Amino acid sequence: MNKKNIASNIYTILVFVFLYLPILVLILYSFNASDSTSVLKGFSFKWYKELFTDSATLNALKNTLVLAILSSVISTIIGTAAAYGISKMQNKYLKNVTMSVTQIPMINPEIVTGISMMLLFVFVGSIVGSASRLGFGTVLIAHITFNLPYVILLVLPKFKEMDKNLPKAAQDLGCTPLQSFFKVELPAIMPGIVAGFIMAFTLSLDDFVISYFTTGSGFETLPIRIYSMTKKRVTPDMYALSTLIFVSILVLLLISNLTSDKNRKEMSKKAKTIAKVSVGSVFGIIAIITVIVLAMSAGTKTVKLNVYNWGEYISDGGEGSYNTNLEFEKYYEDWWYETKGERIDVQVNYTTYASNEDLYAKIKSGAGGYDVIIPSDYMLEKLYKEGEIQPLGKVDKITEAIPNIQYLNEQFKQMFVYPNEDGELELHGAMYTYGVIGIVYNADKLAPEDLDKIEKGEMGWEILYEQEYMEKYKGQILQFNNARDAFGTAMYYLGYNVNTATKEQWQEAYELLQKQKPPIVQSYVMDEIYNKMESGEAALAAYYAGDCLAMMENNESLGFFYPKNSQGVYETNIFADAMCIPKASQNKELALAYINFMLSEEAAVANAEYIYYSSPYTHVKDNLDYQIYMGYCDYDYELDENGEYVLDENGEPIIKLDENGEPIIVYFEDGGDYSTIYYSEFENKLGSMFDTYAYKDLDTAEGANITTQDLNGYWEGLKVDSGSFDGTIYIVCGVILAGIVAFAIYSIVINRKRRKLYWSNSPSESTQKTVEKDDSMSETVMIAAVKAENKKKD
Amino acid sequence: MNKKSNILKQAAAYPHITWAVLFIIAPLIFVMYYAFTDRKGNFTFENISAMAQPSYLEVFLRSVCFAFLATVICLIIAYPVAYFISKASPKTQKILIMLVTLPQWLNFLIRTYSWMALLEDTGIINTMLGSIGLGPIHMINTPFAVILGMVYNFLPYMIIPLHSVMSKLDNRLLVAASDLGCNQFQVMTRVVMPLSKSGIISGITMVFVPSISTFYISQKLGGGNFDLIGDTIERQFQTAYNYNLGAAMSFVLMILIVISMAIMNKYSDEDGGVIV
Repeated sequence: MNKKNIASNIYTILVFVFLYLPILVLILYSFNASDSTSVLKGFSFKWYKELFTDSATLNALKNTLVLAILSSVISTIIGTAAAYGISKMQNKYLKNVTMSVTQIPMINPEIVTGISMMLLFVFVGSIVGSASRLGFGTVLIAHITFNLPYVILLVLPKFKEMDKNLPKAAQDLGCTPLQSFFKVELPAIMPGIVAGFIMAFTLSLDDFVISYFTTGSGFETLPIRIYSMTKKRVTPDMYALSTLIFVSILVLLLISNLTSDKNRKEMSKKAKTIAKVSVGSVFGIIAIITVIVLAMSAGTKTVKLNVYNWGEYISDGGEGSYNTNLEFEKYYEDWWYETKGERIDVQVNYTTYASNEDLYAKIKSGAGGYDVIIPSDYMLEKLYKEGEIQPLGKVDKITEAIPNIQYLNEQFKQMFVYPNEDGELELHGAMYTYGVIGIVYNADKLAPEDLDKIEKGEMGWEILYEQEYMEKYKGQILQFNNARDAFGTAMYYLGYNVNTATKEQWQEAYELLQKQKPPIVQSYVMDEIYNKMESGEAALAAYYAGDCLAMMENNESLGFFYPKNSQGVYETNIFADAMCIPKASQNKELALAYINFMLSEEAAVANAEYIYYSSPYTHVKDNLDYQIYMGYCDYDYELDENGEYVLDENGEPIIKLDENGEPIIVYFEDGGDYSTIYYSEFENKLGSMFDTYAYKDLDTAEGANITTQDLNGYWEGLKVDSGSFDGTIYIVCGVILAGIVAFAIYSIVINRKRRKLYWSNSPSESTQKTVEKDDSMSETVMIAAVKAENKKKD
Repeated sequence: MNKKSNILKQAAAYPHITWAVLFIIAPLIFVMYYAFTDRKGNFTFENISAMAQPSYLEVFLRSVCFAFLATVICLIIAYPVAYFISKASPKTQKILIMLVTLPQWLNFLIRTYSWMALLEDTGIINTMLGSIGLGPIHMINTPFAVILGMVYNFLPYMIIPLHSVMSKLDNRLLVAASDLGCNQFQVMTRVVMPLSKSGIISGITMVFVPSISTFYISQKLGGGNFDLIGDTIERQFQTAYNYNLGAAMSFVLMILIVISMAIMNKYSDEDGGVIV
């Protein structure tokens, strides 16, 4: 007996280890000193500090909690009422239909529920024609919908279990029907209501899929925020947040569990009153706060700006950096007060997406309501041609609308300029960043001769696509998990125009990617590339230069180069992201002010330092702080004989000054990250590079006989038919299935035999009676016993 | 009088019924509408017949297979755990069940992300194995990793319904069975298992449905190499912008699930309404 206990204990413990292993990992990395989620670099509390300065994450957390509380409260109320009504239904048919419909959201896959609601909202929105169709309201409706069945199914049995005579008795004793409901019925079903509420709250808190499809502008929950970090990376402050949530819930639950059993019985009336009062006061405080917030917002005019940007694509106040959105709010509020003499409250609703296609889908689905979006070049062109964005201003007068755009590098002045109907040139996008795709590699994993070739600058795209290399680095290559970039790199290798209109060339690129598929490609990645390159899991990948630099900070073996073609010319994608104002924007003036603010020197430098992509603005490039940050130059410091800094009385290192009293600047030979960001090799050709190598919208290109849909079709083909799949899994499946079928047949046969043997000797009626008589027997057992009886009779 | 008040009482369900018609039935009609129309809104079977392409059939087969295996593994792992928990003292049971549900309070995207750090060739598990001289085992980007991710994420959904049935099991039945000559194994197969059938059924439902439609796990742990139905549907809506094909896939997926539910309900006496 004892031995068995030990075995079962060990087994249970093992299962719990399995359940908690990833949580331990997550706690471990939340204390990591570096920003990697795969390489440990010492202990630090930095991510916890970070978390409390990360206003976007805190805001998402607040949204998630508000949504969970509201949706669970509403669904508990509707659900309890529904359970009451259903329990009173006498029409069996109606009852069954109601119950079946109720259960649909439980049985339906989340993704189907999510998209079905999205289709409904988009349709209704397009009829009503409101500017902001998807958002908090739609997510709330969706959450209530999938919470309802759980509440009903948890409350309904309590009504059934309840003695039907209880309310009658109460009314006989003088209760009004209302009193009898609140004093007798409600307490009896309370456990069900509480369980339903908790279930609804948990489900709503953790839901990602349904929120993802039904949300729109200005509303972002925590899971959506995490998902949209997938171009850059999931930051460890998310791990810190999870750790805090985990620990606080663990403590809370443990306290309530450990105290409840012993003390609840002993709890005096007084204590109960105190508990009631405290619960009541908590709700009271919440109500008061809500009222105050409402009153306050009623007092000052609130102006909202909905910004939709890439994940991790703005300096957000993390690590003591500049909090762009907060600074803008302050700046604009002050500016308004100075010019108009009125206090207003500016709110930047900042939400994020993971890809251009994500953004496009949201805009097209009628999410609307965005004021500033930041698409890449080809997507901007597409949105322009489909009439989804409005011009920022006429080119000759653009500096009046956005003064800071004067700092834009001459080479980019022609970009995103399109003529209007009268032939006047209008600017449609204010460039935010630009960048180049390069190849990041792990020097420890490449053959010496290839490293040599890279160092000599002779290596090109062949390292990813030529048969010889594909065999050499089989299973070590990472490929983009998006159609445009994956096809783009294949096109560069093949030497075709990346926007070619020739279908055969796309076909060829498709076949090349087919050849490169797993097991040659290790995996298709976006943000996971950080983990996989930093930890040394993979050897080679093409990715955006700025991100590659960020990876190199966490692993010294990583290197980076720009691929050349056979003529020795750099041939790679160049991309630009630009700020635009959608047609549906309600507040163009504020949007323009925001764009201008983003281009002010302080904000633009902070963002360039944060994002690590190149800035097209001269005032950023020439900014000394920025150049020092990127390792291009540094002040000339006084050093002592040991090479240590000489400090002044404040403990700051002393800077050497020239004869005019100006600090002396030393330029580093290699130029640090600055040189890789401001590509010396093609610095003067950027404008022409955009013409040749940037992606263009396929649908509207001249003479094209290939569309985005074709491209998606190719990508679909590549993704759905998986080359590395060996089919063992099907065999395993088949064997198990056959086993189950065999077992089922066996048990049916054996049961028949057994029953014949058993029931021929024992009087069935009496068994049934004994079972039914025993009041303490659980319902399940009873039902099972009765059913076994009935079956036998059949 | 009595009848009238009863009708009034029934009216308590009307808000819910209205809600269900608006937000459960109507959206499903939209799915069907999109599934059977083309981009221009004309009626077509093209989207549905596209499912018959070998590559999509493979996606469906693969998803069913993965979800099936995940469900079987969940059942095998969860059954003994639920049984052992139900044998503990009520207080311990409460705490253990709480510990089972606790991971669900953390975001599942984050939890899946940290599995990546565990499973990689240079990840934590392989580093530990390496330090005791065992060679690296390739786990990430394999079907194994995807199924593991499913098992991990949905295991509590199996343990909880099983436990809630087993905790109601009358211990005297087990004693009686062994008194009547059953050995431990026979007690399990002849008494405990038949009586916990409803828990098994709802556990299977609660694991199989999310497993077959998941789209994040396969992207992160499968390296994007194993496209599942969920991934394909998500791509139609978020990148390929082909609502009609996506709706058709959802429709087929729904039918698939309804069929498997029907099969399961046919072979079980209970109508499987046990949750928590």
